[in-house]
Amino acid sequence: MHPSAAVWIRRIIASALGILLAAAPFPAPAQQAPGDAQLRQELDAVKEQLRRVEQQMRQQEELIRRLSPGTPPVAAPPATPGAPGVAAPPRPAPVPPMTVDVEELRRMILADIQPQLTAANKTFASQFNPAIGFIVDTVFSHSRENKSNFEFRSGEIGISASVDPFARAYAIINGTPDGVEVEEAAIVTTALPWGFTVKGGRFFAEFGRLSTFHDHDLPFVNRPLVLDRFIGGESQADGVEVNWLAPTPQYLAFTVGAYNKIGAANDRVDNRIPRDISEFTFLGRLHTAFSLTDSLGIDVGLSDAYTPEVRNVGLKPRNVFGADFTVRYAPLSQAAYRGFVWGSEFLVNHETRPGITPTEDSPDQIFRVRDAFGGYSYFEARLTRRYYPGVLFEYVQDIDRPASRTWALSPYFTIWASEFQRLRLQYTRLETNSPKQTDDQFFLQWTIIMGSHAHSFRDR
Amino acid sequence: MRRLLLVLLAIVALLPADAGAAKKIQVVTTIPDLADMTRKVAGDLADVSSIATGVEDIHAVPMKPKFAVLLNRADVVILMGLEAEHAFLPALLDASRNPKIRRDAPGYIDTSVYVPVLEVPSRLDRSLGDQHPMGNPHINLDPVRGKSMVRAIADGLARNFPEHASTFQKNAAAYTKELDAAIARWQQEAAPLKGKKLVSYHPDLIYFVERFGLEAFGTIEMRPGIDPTPSHVADLIERMRQAKVEIVVRERHYPAGLAETVAKATGAKLVELPAMVGGVPEADNYIAFIDYNIRALVKAATGG
Repeated sequence: MHPSAAVWIRRIIASALGILLAAAPFPAPAQQAPGDAQLRQELDAVKEQLRRVEQQMRQQEELIRRLSPGTPPVAAPPATPGAPGVAAPPRPAPVPPMTVDVEELRRMILADIQPQLTAANKTFASQFNPAIGFIVDTVFSHSRENKSNFEFRSGEIGISASVDPFARAYAIINGTPDGVEVEEAAIVTTALPWGFTVKGGRFFAEFGRLSTFHDHDLPFVNRPLVLDRFIGGESQADGVEVNWLAPTPQYLAFTVGAYNKIGAANDRVDNRIPRDISEFTFLGRLHTAFSLTDSLGIDVGLSDAYTPEVRNVGLKPRNVFGADFTVRYAPLSQAAYRGFVWGSEFLVNHETRPGITPTEDSPDQIFRVRDAFGGYSYFEARLTRRYYPGVLFEYVQDIDRPASRTWALSPYFTIWASEFQRLRLQYTRLETNSPKQTDDQFFLQWTIIMGSHAHSFRDR
Repeated sequence: MRRLLLVLLAIVALLPADAGAAKKIQVVTTIPDLADMTRKVAGDLADVSSIATGVEDIHAVPMKPKFAVLLNRADVVILMGLEAEHAFLPALLDASRNPKIRRDAPGYIDTSVYVPVLEVPSRLDRSLGDQHPMGNPHINLDPVRGKSMVRAIADGLARNFPEHASTFQKNAAAYTKELDAAIARWQQEAAPLKGKKLVSYHPDLIYFVERFGLEAFGTIEMRPGIDPTPSHVADLIERMRQAKVEIVVRERHYPAGLAETVAKATGAKLVELPAMVGGVPEADNYIAFIDYNIRALVKAATGG
């Protein structure tokens, strides 16, 4: 209790006493002539009453003082000389020192607030529901060849939660003008020893870097052409993947996987057609990173995806090899405001492709082993927490027409209104040598994130 | 593909064998403040590393693969909590593949558990900013709350290594006593700061101002994590002029230009402060860190 409370208690008691005295039925002089002795007797009674009140107040003050931590001891008031003819009031008995049992006090306080704690800790049937986020990605595009369009690219629901002490799971459900698709739905182990994790279900296979990004997460508006052509867009795969972080001082992560196929838009193989185990697509990836300084680091990854001959769909063997390099500069004290990312990826598609279309004269399909090369490189600067200009260069060969090559150059500018809202302006100059074709494209992308979000190690 | 497998096998063969020697407790903390406290509590029993060096913004510590390696070997991870490390720790814990230190595992030691939290939002809405959903997490700026963090470290280590519990508690008590003496001294030294109004770039000084009797007038950021708009800055300057705010604090990981502009426009004194141990070379431990901040502010407040 605050010491000022003592003053208030004293005032209240004194006021109550005053009211009591004022309201006391003093005898009316007209009715009864009071004698001196009677008056004195009444006065003595009032004095005694006052003395008792004063004693009570002192005891209360002492109690308050003892309960108030850090209050210096109050010096005892000097003894008041008694009125002549009145015996000095007996000194009030000393209040015994009060011992505060901290445990008891804590128990009492907890007992008092327990109903509120219980109310706050109630469980609900929906309490274990997964975290949910929703992303809207929309683009206005204008192209010399394809005219203009307001393109609703996707509305994407992302949900994630722990399954139990041994696994977590997540799903990405994507609605586009073409329909609704489960883009990812995967289970990831969390309790395996020795640095292993196993992932199963539908997910983006760990091939390269940007093929594992969803469209709205890309640093520019469109996925690089080489990833569209060689991977099939996002590296979506139905299968299983084992990842291992080597217990070495150097960061070394290895991934091996087996899948029906890799690539959401890879139509060489159909996910729904069963095949021999030996006809799956197999992947291996090595990822390492080096810190050149506190602010400068480089990530290097090598990936290889091999698909043997898949007899029931007539697919001949195919191997896609990729190398990715990412240089990141982020000054420690200004990481949110300054820095750059220089990311590059190069892929070789080695594939046995159908050659000349069969005719009546030559009914056998002729296959040819072909190689195609492609890559991209982009540089994005961070000028402030909001402004990220960048430029993307792309080059890709056509696997079926090796002489046909496409180049693209795309300067872009991203404005982050906040971490959850982004506007991006991009211009792309596209050139293909055979058949000769050029195009100028403009894009304005507007992306927002609602609800749950996570900063992933991959997106850093 | 075969080449990749060969490389993998070669690396497995080169892995260092476990020497089997008596192993120290491997502790990784998110910030150097916690590393300093943990060294005081664990003494020689632990090897302590910090992810941040102290110059970073705790809401934007760059994630580096070497941190995943560090966390992979950790017996415990010690963090400030209250989602302060949201931008980097959850992802690094995932990448570390270490079940011992996953969120809410015994090795996940949250030092905010005994701390009374300020600015707990009455409702969660991103229009109010996104960086402090569980209340203001910058508890390391208040040395009294620092004592509660020390207690959480000692209890957390004791939970994981009960055989050393008495050592942790004894060391924590000794360090707490040291902090008590420093707090009494700081209360005296900070006397000239009483009642001074202060604007900071980010709302990370509220525990400090509450402890030492200043008044947090506002922030240059619009909301925690949201950069200011020109109208917000103009409004802030106007209100600061009317209220005669005397101090503008730029936490050293925020841009200098805007803080200078605000200070110049209002006639307030600009003070540059670290927000963590290691933010300036002089603040190389927790007591030196609070020392530095108090002295810098007192110097500004007294016209030094």
